[in-house]
Amino acid sequence: MGPKKRAVAGPIEVPDPKPVTRKDAGESTDVQPNDPTKRKRTRAKHAPKAGHREPKGDDGFSALLEPFYGGKSLTDPIDTAKDKWNLLPAFLKVKGLVKQHIDSFNFFVDHEMKKIVMANKRVTSDVDSRFFLEYLDIRVGEPERLDYDDRRPQNEITPNECRLRDMTYAAPIVVDIKYVRGKTIIKRQNCRIGRLPIMLRSSKCRLAGKNDREMAHMNECALDPGGYFIVNGTEKVILVQEQLSKNRVIVESDPKKGIVSASVTSSTHERKSKSYVLMKKDRIHMQHNILQEPIPIVIILKAMGIQSDHEMLLLVAGTDSTYQDEFAVNFEEATKLGIFSQHQALEYIGSRVKMGGRNKAPGAPGRRNYIGDALEALANVIITHVPVNGLDFRPKALYICFMVRRVLMAMHDPSLVDDRDYVGNKRLELAGQLLSLLFEDLFKKFNSDLKMNIDKVLKKPNRTMEFDAFHHMASHGNYITLGMNRAISTGNWNLKRFKMDRAGVTHVLSRLSYISALGMMTRISSQFEKTRKVSGPRALQPSQFGMLCPSDTPEGEACGLVKNLALMTHITTNDEEEPVKKLVFILGAEDIVSMSGKEIYEEGAYVVFVNGTPIALTRQPKVFLNSFRKFRRMGRISEFISIYINHHTNAVHIATDEGRICRPLIVVENRKSKVTKHSLECLRRGTMDFDDFLYQGLVEYVDVNEENDSNIAIYEHEINESTTHLEIEPFTILGAVAGLIPYPHHNQSPRNTYQCAMGKQAIGAIAYNQFSRIDTLLYLMVYPQQPMVKTRTIELIHYDKLPAGQNATVAVMSYSGYDIEDALVLNKASCDRGFGRCQVLRKYSTQLRKYPNRSADRIGDRMMDEKDPRKPIAKHAILGADGLAMVGEKVSMGEVYLSKEVPLNTTSTGIGSDYGTNEHKPAPMTYRLPDPSYIDKIMISQTESDATVIKVQTRQTRRPELGDKFSSRHGQKGVVGIIVNQEDMPFADTGVTPDIIMNPHGFPSRMTVGKMLELLSGKAGVLNGTLEYGTAFGGSNVDDMGDILIKHGFSYSGKDFVTSGITGESLPAYIFFGPIYYQKLKHMVQDKMHSRSRGPRAILTRQPTEGRSRDGGLRLGEMERDCLIAYGASQLLLERLMLSSDAHQVDICEVCGLMGYQGWCQTCKSTRGVTRMTMPYAAKLLVQELLSMNVLVRLKLEDEFPHEGRIR
Amino acid sequence: MSREAYQVPTVAPTPGRDAFQAGDGPAINYLCGDCNSKVPLKKGDPIRCKECGHRVLYKERTKRMVQFEAR
Repeated sequence: MGPKKRAVAGPIEVPDPKPVTRKDAGESTDVQPNDPTKRKRTRAKHAPKAGHREPKGDDGFSALLEPFYGGKSLTDPIDTAKDKWNLLPAFLKVKGLVKQHIDSFNFFVDHEMKKIVMANKRVTSDVDSRFFLEYLDIRVGEPERLDYDDRRPQNEITPNECRLRDMTYAAPIVVDIKYVRGKTIIKRQNCRIGRLPIMLRSSKCRLAGKNDREMAHMNECALDPGGYFIVNGTEKVILVQEQLSKNRVIVESDPKKGIVSASVTSSTHERKSKSYVLMKKDRIHMQHNILQEPIPIVIILKAMGIQSDHEMLLLVAGTDSTYQDEFAVNFEEATKLGIFSQHQALEYIGSRVKMGGRNKAPGAPGRRNYIGDALEALANVIITHVPVNGLDFRPKALYICFMVRRVLMAMHDPSLVDDRDYVGNKRLELAGQLLSLLFEDLFKKFNSDLKMNIDKVLKKPNRTMEFDAFHHMASHGNYITLGMNRAISTGNWNLKRFKMDRAGVTHVLSRLSYISALGMMTRISSQFEKTRKVSGPRALQPSQFGMLCPSDTPEGEACGLVKNLALMTHITTNDEEEPVKKLVFILGAEDIVSMSGKEIYEEGAYVVFVNGTPIALTRQPKVFLNSFRKFRRMGRISEFISIYINHHTNAVHIATDEGRICRPLIVVENRKSKVTKHSLECLRRGTMDFDDFLYQGLVEYVDVNEENDSNIAIYEHEINESTTHLEIEPFTILGAVAGLIPYPHHNQSPRNTYQCAMGKQAIGAIAYNQFSRIDTLLYLMVYPQQPMVKTRTIELIHYDKLPAGQNATVAVMSYSGYDIEDALVLNKASCDRGFGRCQVLRKYSTQLRKYPNRSADRIGDRMMDEKDPRKPIAKHAILGADGLAMVGEKVSMGEVYLSKEVPLNTTSTGIGSDYGTNEHKPAPMTYRLPDPSYIDKIMISQTESDATVIKVQTRQTRRPELGDKFSSRHGQKGVVGIIVNQEDMPFADTGVTPDIIMNPHGFPSRMTVGKMLELLSGKAGVLNGTLEYGTAFGGSNVDDMGDILIKHGFSYSGKDFVTSGITGESLPAYIFFGPIYYQKLKHMVQDKMHSRSRGPRAILTRQPTEGRSRDGGLRLGEMERDCLIAYGASQLLLERLMLSSDAHQVDICEVCGLMGYQGWCQTCKSTRGVTRMTMPYAAKLLVQELLSMNVLVRLKLEDEFPHEGRIR
Repeated sequence: MSREAYQVPTVAPTPGRDAFQAGDGPAINYLCGDCNSKVPLKKGDPIRCKECGHRVLYKERTKRMVQFEAR
């Protein structure tokens, strides 16, 4: 594959809304005498091909993975309008496909961890005040074996070995400490305190910076995106979590209750709390969990030291008389309560502060220091993220004033409320943040345990040896390791410290196909409950343009709540606030603390907020903004810091916090794109990479808020004087999964969404190392093909190297009647040649456990036949001498492939006479599927705890059969309705028979025009020997495709003259005929086919079991029952519900109505009146269960057809 | 009735251990997952390649004839 096709596949697609004019312009450059390839396309090629791109470097293979610039060579002319998309592969080369996860993890390991340790660096003792232990530094090493091994010089471990051996891919966490021993201070370096699971492809991973050859040597796939963990052999992903942003004010209104509120969720390392400023019945109050009741805002502000009413009025309302009037009422309230001074206000608040137990000294009830309580609450609990230094409440008071003002503004103008669903008000929580919370918790617990142990020892008056704290540290070194492993492997994040109790944070990485794994890495789960019937959070937000994929969301209950990142999105990590604050003042903004309300709300004055907190005031917001951006473009501050102006609230917002969604855009200055021909040439030559573009200010990251404050041109010719940015490429608004769809902009939008769900179920190649990994269930396609109609995204995510589907020749026509309701007609000869052929690999694994009494599981011998002792019994036919199945043998239902034996006695200690038996009982693993498989491989290894682990992989090769599910890339799925012999298939005048016949009724209602275009482009590509493109908002032009078709003697419409294979007559219509990429989906008849006449029953109810795996019955459900009742088919009902299910013979005593047995009633002590009858066992069980609860149930019997004279 | 008389333990070493004496049964060849060399293992042997110390071993393919139905 690779280079050749690439060279031919030109960069045809140009996002241009006026194809005609562009075509004309291009025509002049069309004469290309130096073109050696057999390109017969009349279409304007803006680049002649001088040859293939020569692979750079020593590794020929890795050249395939180099950013790919559409097969252009260095000498090709560059057109900035058309070639600026080259930035995209450059971006992905630098950042990788799952850069968010990896960056976040790296940030945690490199910075966050150190911060946590520095914040909790000292461990002291309550007993000995001289003792201390101090952490100096913390580092994470390289992933290595737990079972240290001197036989092998290198102790490194590869991810694949962890997968195979059910181990954890983890690296040691080491600290440098200094502590007191006796009278000396001792320094120790590299003390291990635990092991941290390492994210694959992160900076600490063995795979970081390796080339493809090295990757292949480690049995790792070069295309695997990484970003997940391996814990106990399973691949775990920490999904991206979406949350409302912290430390930002959100103004909302509830028109029903007449409430306008401004709320802020403050979050610092110590505390998390939510504060409200509420406007109810024209009065403004402050509300917080620590306050027993809402407190008038005037009192709060008074308590914070804004004593004069006039000052307060100015700080809240400025000189605007409407706001002043609205706010003035609140002063009355304070006056009514008789509160005029700060002292009175504090007393008032203090008496209403909840004291949750901790200050309740039992000795002195009722005596509380109200002022102290109030100060404590105001300083440390309410709006915690605004620090109060030395009782300087001014910044916090200002913060509250701004909240009040927002409420007043929203009252005045209802459009000024915030939108919770606006993406700019959201933050995404990634693996790094979740791990840092977890680590902080574990580390604090580790330290407190350490302190407790140290105290215990130091309490002893005389010790046998000198006390060394280091030994104590080493002794419970498992705590952090186990905590980390448990959280990641179960997905339960339970942190009491932060009142966090989340389940389902991690998921097993789905390896159904390459796309499903990739799709999982970009998934965002929302914290909203799925049951709530609100459309707001589920709706498509205009602000998610370019950030989140508009197509890729599941159907059903999670629709719109689970989202996916777009191709170019990045999620920010935390940046330091201090330098930004300094810069704000350097740029001429004045400190807001010294300002009066009059100045703050003056005409033209803009408040500068850093992460939601007001810090400065500027009168030239535009100049301020521009110079700030200039600093960012120069690289003086981090590229991820965003700044934007909100003109509604006269505010300049600067954000440095983590979890903002952002994406790169080309900077436009003076109506000119900063990315020029020259810079693109450098990019192509390799002298510049994406980061250079960033550092030179040609490209910058823009987050959602800043994006909404910018004028972004999509195409270069759309740039006007107000344009600030230029889109790199419009198709990046789609995500990786939606990017597979050719011509998605021609499809009805739900079809693209359906395809996003189905693309993840397609069978194809999983990874380059797919044969060296043993997964529980693996579907592989035997002959996958890359699609004829590709997209740029397909190349960027390397779907063409790990494809999942085949290019089927499709005839869109009706055939045989077995094709109704989207069923497909398959060509039998195509199936013979390998169309849709797939392999199913299953893993059966077992561990040989060791028990405390030194007994252990073992592998038993095969059992020999009694009559012919040379041969094993039929069940053991495929076992080898070691008790494991022979590799390559066919294994059928009921056969044993692993004859494990477990000891009968696992409890005896072996001390004294307590030795139990030495016997083992067989616990063989038997093959249970109805369809036979072949033993593909058997792996034997040992886990970290030295238990033997045996994994048996079985293989089935399946050809398509009736009922297998196929789908094109346009949300058009169908099952195989009939497989037809090739001679009966219709054929075109070239003799071509289709692989698939699709019913044309699939088109009108679905409106998947993209599928038709795919067929057209694909057909042109086949004839021309090129791969065509169907990239969103671009792609190969239909008119050009028609020209190619005409050139090769076909109709431009893609329709062919077709002859019936059955009658030999020509069909009365031309048939739409050409290649469409078809995916085989994992739902196959063989896995679902099930029938039962009789079989196992559940023990308790004696009703047939449920489900295919238990050979269950087919349920006649409630609705079916209703039908039979309505119809009056009583005998059928009786048969279905009782006779074929759980009929049971009971002896019932007519006298007492209770159940007897064997014709004898135990209650009446007689056989008189005991009748035998049939009833459902479940009913009998119910009666008995009621009896057991002291509810007496008497059954009254009555003849259905009473006849005269019968005496009972 | 007096206490039960002391009985000499007949056959009762520690359970489990006895049956696991190496050398039980023939050695079976496995292939090392790293260097692909043949590793003869008997029951109870530690699972590890004798050449390179790798701990992932694969069972060798059967010597018996296997017939596939080519469909």
